Amino acid sequence: MNRIRGYIKTFVLWELWQGLSVTFFNFFKPAVTIYYPEEKTPQSPRFRGLHAQRRYANGEERCIACKLCEAVCPALAITIESDVGEDGTRRTTRYDIDLFKCIYCGFCEEACPVDAIVETRIHEYHMEATGENILTKDKLLAIGDKYDAMISADKAADAKYR
Amino acid sequence: MSDDIVNIEVDGKPVEAKKGQMIIEVTDNIGTYVPRFCYHEKLSIAANCRMCLVEVEKAPKPMPACATPIMEGMKVFTRSPAAIAAQKATMEFLLINHPLDCPICDQGGECELQDQALGYGRDVSRYQERKRVVKDKDIGPLVSTDMTRCIHCTRCVRFGDEVTGLQQLGTTERGENMKIGTYVEASIDHELSANIIDLCPVGALNNKPYRYSARAWEMMQRSTISPHDCVGSNMNAHVLRGTIKRVVPRENELINEAWLSDRDRFSYEGIYSSDRLLRPRLKSGDDWEEVSWEEALNRLADELKSAGGDNTGILAAPGSTTEEFHLLSKLAEHIGTANVDHRIRQRDFSGQDNDPMMPWLGCSIEEVESADAILIAGANLRKEAPIIAHRVRKAALAGSKVSVVNSGEHDFLFDVFEHIHGLGLASQLAGVAVAAAGSGQVPDSIAKLCEGVEPTAAQKRVADSLANAERAHIISGLIACRHQASSAVMALVAAIGRMTGATFGSLSEAGNSAGAHLAGILPHRATAGELRKESGLNAAEIVDASLTTVLLFGIEPDGDLTCTPNAEDKLSKSKFVAAFTPYASESLKRSANLMLPIGTFAETSGTYVNCEGRKQSFVGVANPVGESRPGWKVLRVVGNLLDADGFDYVNSEEIRDELFGQIGEIHKDNSYDGGKIATNLNGADEPANEIDVPIYQVDAVVRRATALQLTPEAKRTSGRQS
Repeated sequence: MNRIRGYIKTFVLWELWQGLSVTFFNFFKPAVTIYYPEEKTPQSPRFRGLHAQRRYANGEERCIACKLCEAVCPALAITIESDVGEDGTRRTTRYDIDLFKCIYCGFCEEACPVDAIVETRIHEYHMEATGENILTKDKLLAIGDKYDAMISADKAADAKYR
Repeated sequence: MSDDIVNIEVDGKPVEAKKGQMIIEVTDNIGTYVPRFCYHEKLSIAANCRMCLVEVEKAPKPMPACATPIMEGMKVFTRSPAAIAAQKATMEFLLINHPLDCPICDQGGECELQDQALGYGRDVSRYQERKRVVKDKDIGPLVSTDMTRCIHCTRCVRFGDEVTGLQQLGTTERGENMKIGTYVEASIDHELSANIIDLCPVGALNNKPYRYSARAWEMMQRSTISPHDCVGSNMNAHVLRGTIKRVVPRENELINEAWLSDRDRFSYEGIYSSDRLLRPRLKSGDDWEEVSWEEALNRLADELKSAGGDNTGILAAPGSTTEEFHLLSKLAEHIGTANVDHRIRQRDFSGQDNDPMMPWLGCSIEEVESADAILIAGANLRKEAPIIAHRVRKAALAGSKVSVVNSGEHDFLFDVFEHIHGLGLASQLAGVAVAAAGSGQVPDSIAKLCEGVEPTAAQKRVADSLANAERAHIISGLIACRHQASSAVMALVAAIGRMTGATFGSLSEAGNSAGAHLAGILPHRATAGELRKESGLNAAEIVDASLTTVLLFGIEPDGDLTCTPNAEDKLSKSKFVAAFTPYASESLKRSANLMLPIGTFAETSGTYVNCEGRKQSFVGVANPVGESRPGWKVLRVVGNLLDADGFDYVNSEEIRDELFGQIGEIHKDNSYDGGKIATNLNGADEPANEIDVPIYQVDAVVRRATALQLTPEAKRTSGRQS
């Protein structure tokens, strides 16, 4: 009995029609793909992309060189050297993040007691030369300065869940 | 058993303990941890932090474990609900005024308060009121202060009072206004003062040169030995990415207990001095040019080959490792010279045949504490060997009669039984020797020195205190060693020891004079103290003679070569001076022709033999700076270039094992009676003739330690070196 049914299905191309029906019904559904980069998917304020270092409103850098991010980093991507700063406070003299090592887990952001290191929503970046994968302190602060409005808004949006 | 044993119960377990012990000592012995801040086993009991409260059966309130003596049948509960509630309450009170700045505090990660807050603290504070803020004090270049963090355990105050003998820190005001400070604006000023950094359980007192440069958890801890005095203090270097960030004491009850002198703790700064020699340099005309290792070593080998044995001299710093000494000794043997010496600060060599196989203390460092009478002869003890000075101070506090015979006056910070000073060292000691002989005769070796000497009352009291003591000990120091008439001084001290029945010992220069003696870095003795058939030139003669070729190992002529005046000028008259040195110092630039960069004590492996004859090996703890290499590796290559036999070592342990295999057992003998009779002094015994090297000028590394050079002690003594 099963054998006869099998023959019939083979001759009427049953499985082909079954497959094509999926295509057919999809003609009437809304499209999920977008035209990147002209169109973009929505992002969560918690998105973990490129790193940045923040400053206080008076321009003072937030980072106090406590090295908790370096200690918590599971990929050992962060390297910090610290010393007494010009005003006698604890400051970093070197703060490097190796983007090739980084796994974007966001632990550094979680560990930071002063919200200095953050992961922004920026994910469209590239390197052209060897060594550009190292984000130095200057670069991190520049990113922080440039996207300050976005970072602050994201932090504010997430604040009530913390 | 005897009455001294008391049976108590700790957390339900029966424990036997000694009568008179405090609960906390018993719990520490059996491994039950009771939290504490103010209690420290080396300090007196204050019981003012209240963290160690435990429940004791039948006691109405929780008792402080550090201040409650045990009693027969006592039942102690360290983890009962009542005990824990008491400890948690105490912790809450301590945290009321403690700032929440752990992320920027250098103590963060190794803080007793932080650890215990994790165990006994609440997760959220109930405290809403204002926190106390205290002004930071400036207490010198070694210790930084953040006094708001202070929890008033008073360990630092008790340390100053009990261990150093200088009450420089104290408390003012009371209750919430209580503050630790220096009363009047002043630096703390003692050679052990920086130990308060380790004692402070929080981040109130911290290491100033280390400030903010690393965190406790990211550094590697590597063990090493101090090279600056003959004690050989054990220490741990904390290393971050190959660079020493700080040095802390490694506990060793036999040597340095839990302490470390400031010189040992902060000398590491000198390793990273800006004038480190990074590549070999060769002098051409008046200029120095950098050359490759290959070129430099070939040049050295050529010079050594052409100079010939008798025209070559080797001078080594007494802080070099025993392995380096052994290779230098073998090198000298190959070249065929006996002009080898390490006694670069000694000025009287006439009694060298009487010297023992190696200079030693005459007893172990620990035994110094238990002497009933001590005589310190020719020593600025606190500056020469701070750890031994601390042991002597402990003996004095325990009732020992400590007398001092010096030509100058030094502060010992305890009640000295007799402090004889003002005249020449040898003349004073001759008086003591005559007094010790009493009605009898002084030994022949010192008879001429004692001719016509009448002992004073003070000298008699010193001799009596030594003769009447059950365990008397004499320590001769570095002033005696560097003295213009040191052979007479040594003969006198040894004779006094023999006549009074006291044991006798001497301190020696830097960390490894004993190792140099054993390895045969002496003109009159080869390896293991074996007498040479023909004595070579001693340190002063090597410099004076302007030999064709001179090797300087770890020596800076202007600071180290005090065996003869104007050593630097005399050296520059030699045809070829090769310096194995960590530093491109100005003095060497003037006097040397070739500089080879070698590692400091932290960058080489090796062995130091301390003043009790204890061999202590260590490994290199830091990465070598520039192209510098451990001294033994450089010497090995020099040996190979000269085609000398037996220079094929793979590691420094092979060198050590070869040397100590040759030496066998070390004969520790301080008789100083080789037969040579000390004669009259011809004016050599004037107090003005002494060399007292300031504590922070003893070697090239210490001279470059910036924080130490800023201390009041360094400022007081700068320019005092003769």
